[in-house]
Order: sequence, then structure tokens, then C-alpha cells
Amino acid sequence: MRYTEGGFMTWGPRPREKMLQTITFLKCLECGAENSRPFMEWDFIFKVVGNEKCPRCGGSRSRIVNIYVPEKKESK
Amino acid sequence: MEKGLSNVFTAFLSPSAAGGENILSIIISFVWLLMFMVFFLYPSFGQRMQLSYMLRDLERKLNKLKSIKDEIRQTAIDTIKKVGKPDFDPTPEVDRLSEFFVIPPESMDPYGIVYKLEHILEIGELSYENEVKKLAPIAEEHQVKTLTNLVEIARGINTLYRVVRHYYLLGKKTSNIYLVLQIQMIMPQLVEIAEAYRMASVAFSQGQPIGDSIGVLVAAKLSDVENKKRYTVARDTMVEELELENRKVYVVRAIGPGGTVGRPGEAVKNLVESLPENPKMIITIDAGLKLEGEESGKVVEGVGVAIGGPGVDKYKIEEVAKQRNIPLYAFVIFESIQEAITPMRESIAKAADVVLQKVRKLLTEKVEEGGVVVVAGIGNTVGVG
Repeated sequence: MRYTEGGFMTWGPRPREKMLQTITFLKCLECGAENSRPFMEWDFIFKVVGNEKCPRCGGSRSRIVNIYVPEKKESK
Repeated sequence: MEKGLSNVFTAFLSPSAAGGENILSIIISFVWLLMFMVFFLYPSFGQRMQLSYMLRDLERKLNKLKSIKDEIRQTAIDTIKKVGKPDFDPTPEVDRLSEFFVIPPESMDPYGIVYKLEHILEIGELSYENEVKKLAPIAEEHQVKTLTNLVEIARGINTLYRVVRHYYLLGKKTSNIYLVLQIQMIMPQLVEIAEAYRMASVAFSQGQPIGDSIGVLVAAKLSDVENKKRYTVARDTMVEELELENRKVYVVRAIGPGGTVGRPGEAVKNLVESLPENPKMIITIDAGLKLEGEESGKVVEGVGVAIGGPGVDKYKIEEVAKQRNIPLYAFVIFESIQEAITPMRESIAKAADVVLQKVRKLLTEKVEEGGVVVVAGIGNTVGVG
């Protein structure tokens, strides 16, 4: 165990927890394809967005299906 | 000259011919004697030194709390200016609202205390929301609710800071080491809570879903079907009627996407009393505090009413369920206190689908086809439409 890295032997102040990027997941109402982008202010789950093109079919209407902060996967 | 210096060193370090002592050892003995005298004549000297170390540590952490408090206050002011576009400076009003208080009812005679508490909390909530509305004249209704939550966070951190500062100054004034020790021991947790408040202020300033929104999110996903009837049943709370696995399901949840928890207790009570037949069960879904070492997003189930807060909503559902002999089932999604008020994490968001499966399974196992069930999603509905 390495006590010097973030353990109880660390003397300096703990680094401030970083704000992680929140991701908005959208589903195209025309082709059903899912895509994601960084969260934009006042996005909400089940909001129908009319001004963003679907990367697959080019459709302009999408629905926000989820909003969350992705977590880093621990390597096994 | 050189010889003179060497004589001095010799006298300092070498034992004299007479008694085996030198000047250095005499000085050391004298210092030891002095320290012994200090500790003997002034027994609380050690404690005083310890107190001064502790006060210094507390002061450093108090400064950190102050910087977080100031940052949240600024976020609240900036967001109100940006979203509400007031034609005046909202700073003095935000400062005034940061000191707003709610006095709980007298509990000497506990008869009817739940309804008294509900009354007082409702007045507090309404007046707070109206005050924020005045600060943000052009904000939409859901934005006003979220801004109200943001100002409440500013109030929360302000109270935390004032209480810690009170104990710090009181401990310093009275030199009471035990008082300082108690506040110093819980300071790491308080700083962690303050950090969570800081991140929560960012989430509310942008209308992001938070960990506590998970109960409402499950309810929203459950009622995300084509044919459904929707109506308001209590303040900021709605019911959606739908068919699920050939059962009639009434889904109760706060109206989003503004930051509100609604009135789930009042809503379930009104709903059950208005139904022609008693529901076969009432299911509540909420976020619950995990213990250290448990994984976030873990779904557990049990019986009872899964609702936190002051207890009014819980009491109302328990009361109506007892009167009509309706079984109470609950699903809880584990998360930490920090995760509950900060932007929703992936593990928590993904737990929504697990809960949905479990609710469907419970319905098919415990309720016959054609039966009526009430499902209530509990939590803050910020960022969930």
C-alpha cells in the first residue's frame, strides 16, 4: 500500500473534487438512434429537442432520454 | 585570535577539571528545569498548546467553509441575474433570504403536531418561492422552482457556516478545549457536506437532475406510455393513470422539470380516498442513504413508506394505508448524502431500469389482473420532465 498517495499520511490539503462533465442522451424521434452530447443548461429528461440534427438520419426532432455523469470504469 | 576561540569552545564543551560539567550541559539542565517548572506551576500549559493548535486547524477549515459559502452565494446571484433578468441588484435580497428561518411548532403537547408542522412548512415554502419569483420576473415557472432550491442551498451553507463559526468563537473565548474538540472532530464531514452543497449549486443553476431525482425518474419512466390520463392531485404533484401488465396503475410524482418534491403524502391520500375501490398495494420508490462500503445505485426492497424529510408525507400515507388496510411496499436506491444532492451519477441513473423490472415483477406476483395499484416516485424532480 502506498500511503503517500492520498492516504492518511498526506499532509497537504486535499485537492478539490472536480466537477465531472454531465452528458445528455438523446433518442431520434424519426429513426430511434441514440446519441449523446455534453449537457446544455435547462436540458431535462423527456424534453423534446427540435433544433438538433440526428447524426444517423438527419432528423431534427429528438427526445432526451437520460442525463447523468458517466463514471470511470475500473480496469480489472 | 584562533587560540582564543578554541579556548572558548573547550570551555563550552569539555568538562572542567573540578566537577565534570561544561557550559552547554549547564544550559541544557537549566532549560529542562525551566520547562519542568512551567509544567509543574502551570499544569494546563500542555492543554493550552493543544487548544491553540486545534483552533488554528479549525480556523483554516472555517475559512474554507466561508469561501464555499461565498462561491454558492455568487452562483445564486449570477443565476438569478441571468435567468430572471431583474431590473435591480438581487444581492441584498439573496442575503436576506439566506437568513430566512422556519420555527417548528411547539411539541410540548404533540396532539395534531403533524398538521401544524405541515402548515408552517407550507407557509415557509410558498413565501420563499414568491420571494424568489419577485427576484426573477421573466423566469419560467419551473425555473423559479429550481432557483428557489438554489437560494435554499445558499441558506443551508450560510447556516452551516454560522453554526461552525459560533462554536469556534465560543471555544476560543472560553478556552474550552472540549467544545473545540467536538466541532473539530466533525469538521471533515462538515467540509464534505459543504463541498456537496457547492456541486449542488452548480447542478441547480443549470437545472441538472440530481441523485435524489431517481425516485421521480423511475415513476416518470414507468408512466412513459402512450395511453394515459394525467391530472394534478395536490400542489406540484400529479397522477398518471395507465394500464400495466393488465393492472390499473396510478403513478404519483412531483411535476417537473422544476426543482420540487411536491406533496406526495397529500397526493396519495387524496387519490386513495377518491378511488372507487381500495388499491391492492401502495409502492413508494425513493433514494436512500447508503452505509460506507456499500455501492451506489444498489436497489433494495422492503415494506413501509420510503420517504425522507420532516415526516408529514410519510405520516399521511401510513395513516390512509392503515385505515384501509393497504399493504405498503418500498424500493430504495442507495446513494451517499453527497450523491443525493449533486448531479446524477451513471450508477444511480442506470438503477432506474432495475427498479422498473422489480416493480413489474412485484405487480404480477402480488396483484391479480384488473387490480389497482398506487406507485409513488419520491424525490426532487429537478431535470425530470
